[in-house]
Amino acid sequence: METKQGHVHVDNVEIRFQGRDGPVTALAPTTLELAPQTFTALIGPSGCGKSTLMNAIGGFVTPSSGRITLDGAVIDKPSEQVGVIFQQYALFPWFSALDNVRFGLKRFGLSKREEVDRARAALDEVGLSAHADKFPQALSGGMKQRVAIARTFAFGPKVLLMDEPFGALDAQTRLVMHDLLMRVWQKHKATVLFVTHDVDEALLLADDVHVMSSAPGRLIRHYALAQPRPRALNRAGSDLLDIREDILGLLRPADATAL
Amino acid sequence: MAVTEPSTQRSVVARSFQAGLNAGGSAARSLLSFAFILALWAGVGAAQMVPEAIFPAPWSVLSAGIELAQNGTLAKDLSVSLSRAAIGFAIGASLGIVVGLLTGRIAVVRMLIGPFLNLLRPIPAIALVPVAIVWFGIGEGSKYFVISYTVFLAVWFNTHAGMEYVPDIYLRAARSLGVSRLREFMSVIVPAAAPYIFAGLRLGVALAFLSLVAAELSGASSGIGYRLQEARQYIRTDRMFALLIILGLLGAGVDLIVHRIGQKLVHWQQG
Ligand SMILES: Nc1ncnc2c1ncn2[C@@H]1O[C@H](COP(=O)(O)OP(=O)(O)OP(=O)(O)O)[C@@H](O)[C@H]1O
Ligand SMILES: [Mg+2]
Repeated sequence: METKQGHVHVDNVEIRFQGRDGPVTALAPTTLELAPQTFTALIGPSGCGKSTLMNAIGGFVTPSSGRITLDGAVIDKPSEQVGVIFQQYALFPWFSALDNVRFGLKRFGLSKREEVDRARAALDEVGLSAHADKFPQALSGGMKQRVAIARTFAFGPKVLLMDEPFGALDAQTRLVMHDLLMRVWQKHKATVLFVTHDVDEALLLADDVHVMSSAPGRLIRHYALAQPRPRALNRAGSDLLDIREDILGLLRPADATAL
Repeated sequence: MAVTEPSTQRSVVARSFQAGLNAGGSAARSLLSFAFILALWAGVGAAQMVPEAIFPAPWSVLSAGIELAQNGTLAKDLSVSLSRAAIGFAIGASLGIVVGLLTGRIAVVRMLIGPFLNLLRPIPAIALVPVAIVWFGIGEGSKYFVISYTVFLAVWFNTHAGMEYVPDIYLRAARSLGVSRLREFMSVIVPAAAPYIFAGLRLGVALAFLSLVAAELSGASSGIGYRLQEARQYIRTDRMFALLIILGLLGAGVDLIVHRIGQKLVHWQQG
């Protein structure tokens, strides 16, 4: 059994794209460390390069300069070590929920029986055993994302990238998903990088919160949160509330503060 | 929650009722249209406004059809024509899918033959008949060639388009799940392109029927297309009408079957 690590170093990475009028800097030089099995939230204005940074860690985009390593090895292409959960779920509509999870288990070369058992167990963990044979079109947004979470954790990546995974869900469903994600993550452990626009979400979930500046994005502030989980933001006097004010201040556009 | 639920339920019921109405409605509307045209046709026939030899009345067409059925030519023509269409379709469709998979995913193949195939697309089947006769003689070969050529281009084009536009997010998901290239191809790319491939196959079926008649112009001694030619020589417009109607019904029937099979196989595409 390999030891599960998942230590990510983003080392002075800059990413430029070829735009219509010359190169565009999508991500200003950025250095970031994701310690093994921690949960890091990334928050920042739209277009600042959050998805770009994720895509680079996922191996989908090559940095223009600098390098990204996972447990010492350079990441230069997508691999099974880095799992991704997309806002649009990315379930395969031609597979049932169960077969979507099984698809992620293929590389283990299990017997069919074992593969199905594991996939069922994974769906069970996210409370979907009753819906295993449904196709994604027949599931709600929250259920689809639960299938995607089951698919990814069952498959066991060292690093998990989540780009606004709950952005399309209503507030109630989000709260349910937070609990579920925390539960599943604490069981399986993986180094998580979680992009969100929702400050509260970041504060409820993460060990580390990084705030980015507007485009071209840089990391401008880091908060290490040691508060025990499950957390709540409504207790008066909680230091999380101060951090929240702080972050909201950072995210407020400069001209809006004058109003 | 408790407030919205009943109204949601009602709207679902209303919608499925509406859908039922629509499905029933469209069949009823088709029947109405057929009945209207038939009545008009019968009216023209009964008034004897046009000579029978030019524009036969429905009852003449019906009796010509019965005659063809009774003397055994219809069964023979149908089986000959259908097997030509089926064999031509099978050859053209399988080649179309294979080549479409290649040009859709492999840049070199796409560059080398894509533009050429696109150039062929506007050439109608009937224009190929002389070439087909020189290459394959007047036997079955030239018929298969003409039909499979037409079917091939339609199926190729659609397969190719489907392969090209596989949503990136599916490929990303597959890569981050660490599956092999072969599995990615079989379980992700092909299913993602399947709706396009089926659209191509359905078009191919229609084209097989269209080009069948052209193909049977290349010297045949049986088949629906041949029988049409023969009817022309004897100026049997009643037979021609009967044959055209049979061809139309056959084409529509097969199209419906292919459509239904497609809906079953690419079930995720609806809605
Ligand atoms: N493939 C690409 N080609 C050209 N420009 C790109 C590409 N991908 C991203 N960009 C640009 O890079 C910048 C950062 O984009 P990115 O998607 O990373 O932002 P983001 O922080 O994820 O925004 P959002 O919160 O809206 O998702 C944007 O200006 C975007 O237009
Ligand atoms: Mg983004």
